[in-house]
Amino acid sequence: MSKRVLLADDDQLLASLLNFRLKKGGYSVHHSVNGKEVKEYLQKEMPDIIVSDIMMPYFSGIELIDYVRNELKSKTPIIIISSAGNEQNVLTAFELGANDFITKPVSPTELLVRIAREINK
Amino acid sequence: MLIPPNQINILLITAPEFNLEYLWWLTILFFVLSIIYFIGVFLIRNRITSTNNRTKDKKIEFSPMINEFLFYEDSNTKEEKMNYLNLKIQIRELIKNDFDRQVLTEVLLDLRKDLSGQSQAVLIDLYKDLGLHNDAYNKLGSRKWQVVSSGILELTTMEVEEAYGLIIKFINHRQSTIRKQAEIAVVNLKEEGIKYFLDNTKYKIAEWQQLKLLDVLRHKPNFNAPQFGLWLTATNTHVVLFSLRLIKYYNQNEAEQSIITLLKHKNRDIQAEAIECIKDFHFVSALTTLKLVYPKASHDIKIAILDAIGEIGSKNEVAFLEYLASTERHFNIKGKVNSTLNKINPESVLPTKNISTEDFYEAEMDLEDTLTTVDEIKKEPELSITQPDLNITKELENEPEISEEIIELESATINSSPKEETETEIVNETSSEEVENEVALDIEIENTRSEQLEIDLTFLPHVNDENVQAENDVEVEKVEEVKKIEEIVLEEEFTFNFLPFVVEENAYKEEVSAFVEDDFEPLFVLDENFNNDQEEVVSIILDESTSNEFEDIDWSTVSTETLTENDSEEPAVIEEPLISFESEEISFSANFMPQEELDAMVILENIAELGDSRELDLLQNIKEENSSVLVKERAEELIQKFLYQSPRPTELFSADNDLSESVFTEIYNLADKETKLILLSEIKSIGDEKEIQLLESVIKSESKSLAKAAKDALENIKSQLSLEIDVTPKEVDNDSIFDVDFELELSESIKRNIASNDNGSTLFDQLCSMSNSLYKKKNG
Repeated sequence: MSKRVLLADDDQLLASLLNFRLKKGGYSVHHSVNGKEVKEYLQKEMPDIIVSDIMMPYFSGIELIDYVRNELKSKTPIIIISSAGNEQNVLTAFELGANDFITKPVSPTELLVRIAREINK
Repeated sequence: MLIPPNQINILLITAPEFNLEYLWWLTILFFVLSIIYFIGVFLIRNRITSTNNRTKDKKIEFSPMINEFLFYEDSNTKEEKMNYLNLKIQIRELIKNDFDRQVLTEVLLDLRKDLSGQSQAVLIDLYKDLGLHNDAYNKLGSRKWQVVSSGILELTTMEVEEAYGLIIKFINHRQSTIRKQAEIAVVNLKEEGIKYFLDNTKYKIAEWQQLKLLDVLRHKPNFNAPQFGLWLTATNTHVVLFSLRLIKYYNQNEAEQSIITLLKHKNRDIQAEAIECIKDFHFVSALTTLKLVYPKASHDIKIAILDAIGEIGSKNEVAFLEYLASTERHFNIKGKVNSTLNKINPESVLPTKNISTEDFYEAEMDLEDTLTTVDEIKKEPELSITQPDLNITKELENEPEISEEIIELESATINSSPKEETETEIVNETSSEEVENEVALDIEIENTRSEQLEIDLTFLPHVNDENVQAENDVEVEKVEEVKKIEEIVLEEEFTFNFLPFVVEENAYKEEVSAFVEDDFEPLFVLDENFNNDQEEVVSIILDESTSNEFEDIDWSTVSTETLTENDSEEPAVIEEPLISFESEEISFSANFMPQEELDAMVILENIAELGDSRELDLLQNIKEENSSVLVKERAEELIQKFLYQSPRPTELFSADNDLSESVFTEIYNLADKETKLILLSEIKSIGDEKEIQLLESVIKSESKSLAKAAKDALENIKSQLSLEIDVTPKEVDNDSIFDVDFELELSESIKRNIASNDNGSTLFDQLCSMSNSLYKKKNG
């Protein structure tokens, strides 16, 4: 059974591209365009890994990590996608329990490798 | 001839006649125009929205196609390859439409920003493969500067190197946006672009633009920076400045002489940048030029030069800097000169501002010495006079202490062996010989001290030799003689100006007599001999105090016995004064009563200060358990005081007292109607006379239901009370404290005691606070 990836990103083009790449890489991907959808999905089921952009409407990536770690008490790996020069957010994300991060511009192949590594941990 | 007012027909204000029809036409016209305007806005808005929606839909349509293109691999299956080819054909058909082509370009440009690595390269290839760069070329020919600029940006983003030749023409475009975009494009597209740019640009290169160009160069893969020193000779000063910055960034120190020459440039920015380069590259050969340039440089440049000299200079520059330190007037530069001097030659310049001269401290030290000597002179008679009633041993104890201090001082500071020997001899004499030697000893100590004491020795430990005390007990009488001589001196010298004393002679006398006779019962009584000894002192004090000036009294000589001279019938309890002076410290001697008694007194005094009627039981216990008359009396005194202060039974239920108010009142006032009804029913069942007032007020209220409930409750309570009144005389408890039908009356003496205690001062308190005050005063 393929591993489930929750991809949370409000950028439709990039999300579509990453979605395509991840599916091609053998993952089952659920794409959410905002924090609300992410929360609703997580209340139903917990994926094997979460890939989330830091800047999202309604529910930022930081809040998502806090929600997953502190409210859902889940240890699901979380990879954060952030823009370059957003180091403070990345540090906060790590403090809250993010497992890895990748900066934009994103290399889809690199993301695939990181996801595989986190899942195999 | 007067004209009647009704016949005057002159209009003061004339308004032109206006055809109402025109007004209507104008109204209609503006109405139509506003409708057209709003329709126009609506249509344009709708068009933009529909275009955005179309674009969004198209992007979603293009997205999977682009994904297929981006992640196409040669290893794909035949079916996938066929699919890829079909998509390619499909996309080529789509881009025949201008709008579609534009959307596809937008999609690719967006993805270019978000993707890196292999995907990015594929994306760029796809852009070129689909021929979208031709549209960008067309944009370059546009008359609109924004279109040209976007065309250059598109070509730069998609790294169309072929466009380099077209873009370089815009490097000196008069439109700054196009020019700046072209500069970035030129530098970005080809490695030699930076050279072309530096060679050909004629315009100013803004600071922000310089940063952007540097950023482009930094992120350019495999970039081999040219020798930027070649452009230090450029005629465009901005090129020179940018070159200097690039030289510094890329650490190109080959152009040493050129950079040193630029120190003489007229442009301050170039000078400053050249100095920075010199400092970074440690061009020692530039020192001469730096010093040469310095005099005519601006303030900022001077500071930069000094900073550079501090960084690369040696001690050879000290003379130059010292010259500057003496000639520079600008405080900022002068400060920098000093710091540079200290950097080259550490600690060569010391702080001078706001530093006091040595004379200032020498004067202070002289004063300290004088004060120390005066204190010591004062201390000597003090020691002998304050302890006459004790044994003379106290005095004897102190003498060796001082001698030892001196010895320690000498051994620590002055290596004058003859003096040390003298001191040792003095100590030996004092500890072993008769008391007669003491006077001589005192003189010797004084002499020695005046010669040698320069350091405060208060921190040194005091060493008492108990044997000395024992040996000298016999010599009390002789010392008493000495004491009496010095007593007078002390009276004059040792003053306590802070003690509150009555100024008027008669008032003072009356108060003292009343105080002695009525208020103060004797706490401590001495034997008659002691009292006789003290009479003289007391008489001196009283004589002094009866003068009309503010009085100075040596409290060290005043013990409680001085106030109780008439009560000599009681046995002597103590043989020490309450306050004693040992060395320079004042201590309160509390050994005049047994420890248990003292503890009880402390408790009682604390109760007196902090307690109230709740301590009555405790006071009663203390009174019963203690055998000491003193404690019993004090406890009784406090009991009387608190009884007097505690509320009387008759006051407990007075109208002013809170206790007379119903406990329901507060709750009732805060409650809603339903709760009030419940409360009233509760009052009906458990209430008493305290609730009558509340119920009466409720009966007067507007709510009928509440008034009715209150009325019922009131009637019920009244009926219960009438029953109780009938029964009460039979069940009355004679011992109940609430049935006291008399007022507590205190005797006059107790009232006076209480009055005096209200000030928080028993004799004990006064003495305690006095000793504390003395201690504080003595310690500054």
